[in-house]
Amino acid sequence: MGIRIKILSGFLILSTMLLVAGVWSIYELSTIGISVQKILDENYKSVNAAKSMIEALEREDSGILLLLLGKREEGRTIINSADESFRKAYETARSNITIPGEKGYVDEIMNTYDTYRNLWRQSVVGTAREGDLNWYLREVHSAFLKVKLTTQDLMTLNDKTMYRTASNLESRGHRATMPGIIAVVSAFIFAIIFSFLINLFIVNPIIRLTDGIQDYLDSGKQLDVKVETKDELADLVSSVENLIARSKA
Amino acid sequence: MRLPIILRYIGVVLLLNAVFLFIAAVISFFNRDSALFPLGYTCLIASLFGVFPFIFVPPTEEITNKEGFTIVVSSWLLSCLIGTIPYVLWGGEFTFTNAWFESVSGFTTTGSSILTDIEALPTGLLFWRSATHWIGGVGIIIFVLSVLPSMGKVGMVLYRTEISPLAAANFRYRTTKTLQIIMLIYVGLTALETLALTVCGMTLFDAINHSFATIATGGFSTKNLSIAYYGSEAIETVIMIFMVLSGINFGLLFVALLGNIRALCRSTVVRFYLTALFAGIVLTVFNIHGTVFSGWLESLRYAAFQVISIGTSTGFATTDTTLWPPFAQLLILFFTLQCACSGSTSGGIKVDRSVLLWHAIRKRITKFEHPHAIVKEKIDSVTIDEDILEASLLYVLLYILVVFASSLMICGMGIDIMTAFSASAAAMGNVGPGFGMVGSAGNFSLIPALGKWILTGDMLLGRLEIFGLLLFFLLKKWK
Repeated sequence: MGIRIKILSGFLILSTMLLVAGVWSIYELSTIGISVQKILDENYKSVNAAKSMIEALEREDSGILLLLLGKREEGRTIINSADESFRKAYETARSNITIPGEKGYVDEIMNTYDTYRNLWRQSVVGTAREGDLNWYLREVHSAFLKVKLTTQDLMTLNDKTMYRTASNLESRGHRATMPGIIAVVSAFIFAIIFSFLINLFIVNPIIRLTDGIQDYLDSGKQLDVKVETKDELADLVSSVENLIARSKA
Repeated sequence: MRLPIILRYIGVVLLLNAVFLFIAAVISFFNRDSALFPLGYTCLIASLFGVFPFIFVPPTEEITNKEGFTIVVSSWLLSCLIGTIPYVLWGGEFTFTNAWFESVSGFTTTGSSILTDIEALPTGLLFWRSATHWIGGVGIIIFVLSVLPSMGKVGMVLYRTEISPLAAANFRYRTTKTLQIIMLIYVGLTALETLALTVCGMTLFDAINHSFATIATGGFSTKNLSIAYYGSEAIETVIMIFMVLSGINFGLLFVALLGNIRALCRSTVVRFYLTALFAGIVLTVFNIHGTVFSGWLESLRYAAFQVISIGTSTGFATTDTTLWPPFAQLLILFFTLQCACSGSTSGGIKVDRSVLLWHAIRKRITKFEHPHAIVKEKIDSVTIDEDILEASLLYVLLYILVVFASSLMICGMGIDIMTAFSASAAAMGNVGPGFGMVGSAGNFSLIPALGKWILTGDMLLGRLEIFGLLLFFLLKKWK
């Protein structure tokens, strides 16, 4: 094998090790970016929507209590505005179903909310329900708690997924950095071996040949340079020996 | 010493590792798991480092013993280092220390693990763990020499350096023939066990992994509960049979395979090995019956598996032996120290040395009675050389000293005596599980990092039969 190929192979090996590790690190880093975006897009939106729904539900509950106290106008205004907020937040959650099992929670929220809504849509002020705390506690409050708990479950599911994805980011970060470290260490060791072999099989024979020629020129000493490899250096030594033989003749 | 020549032959070993890494990467690829890059990249590094010396360094006809010795020890160390890389790249529970521990434990066929959740590993990495057992089981150099038989005199020097002197006596063939026999038995037993385990209901993947671990007397399982996961008497029986076979000298197994079973039965070492296992099982059954298990059959099932598993230095588990009475624990500890026959894949002091030790004691007693008598001890009608006797006694002494020293160091890190001693003995004997924190149902994750490094040192010392590694580090004083 020729010297050129030997040296070229050394550099090729070195660059392959670094290149593959580099490409992989870039891939892992880009995956981290995608994961972060995913957390923001998928989970954070759902968590916010769930929070808004809970807030709206609590406002609706306050509105119902006002109705019980006989304050129809104030109560209905609060309830209608909260209902609108709830539906808006619900739509956000419904259009952002990304986790297995999330759809079940979203459907359940609407089912329980419909039951709850049917209760406060009935007339309260001026009827037997006005001031009836038992009716409130027995039917309205329990329906309210059901919607609230289901919405909290949706929030917990998204929170957990966010945590899992964030934990996964840590291992992704590890996988992005480790190839670089391994590649640098390997390249360093390889460079040492490469330079050692270059020195041993290319530089040293050249030095020996130069010294041999010098010895021949200075004192006519027989050229005796041994090259183990079968490459251009062996050809060079053989050519120099021929040259010396011819010049002697 | 010619460093380029050493690099060239270590390159072959790296290429062997690269082949198994490639297979593991292919498994990862087809299972679409997260170990594809860690395995693929390590395969690339091993291949490049392995091929490069071939480009520069011309082949040689001969190598010196010193060079051969350096190649063998360096091959073990480098294989362990290469084996560390996929774990480190994959992450999870693998810090560098943990990855090194897992890799050394794999190659030396110890089978101790730092993993608390083995089943969380991707399939490719699980295969690589088992493959390290299989590569190391028969000896890395033996593996290379049998794959590349055209190494001529170089092969002979490497073979002499790698194979235990006690084992070599049982192979009365030339190097190439011996290597062929070893590989035939090794691959044959692995294939047979894989088939038997598949028939018993294991998946092919699990069967291959467990066969690798059994025949190499390693002990890595693909399940957190080890063999207990399957709860199958048939699987346990198959594994027990192959564990016992893997603990017998491969040369004798080959002779038996050729039809001369009497040679196997007449071997003093094999008889001692089987009798010791039998006695161990019987005593354990009586000890655990009524205290741990209520039924005799149940006691026999667990006692037989655990005694054979430890007595062959495999280290699989079907139950938690840390819950057994002290008598049974001490019995198992005896097997942790002794293990099986030389010339097998087993570790430990080895039955052969136990037999030699017994003969040395007998000789000394006779000498006391007849001080001027010339006493010659024989094993299987072969007179034991004084040198072999002395070397064996020295080995046992050094072995115990190393176990004691590492136990002391690990105790110094705040670990209890039982854990420290059994962990050291299990690491030195390439057994795997010990007692206390590192019992058959536990793992080595709670051992401090320095302790893990000490234990990996023990594993390598045990695998290279102490003198190998010691001489490597004292190489400068060889002049």
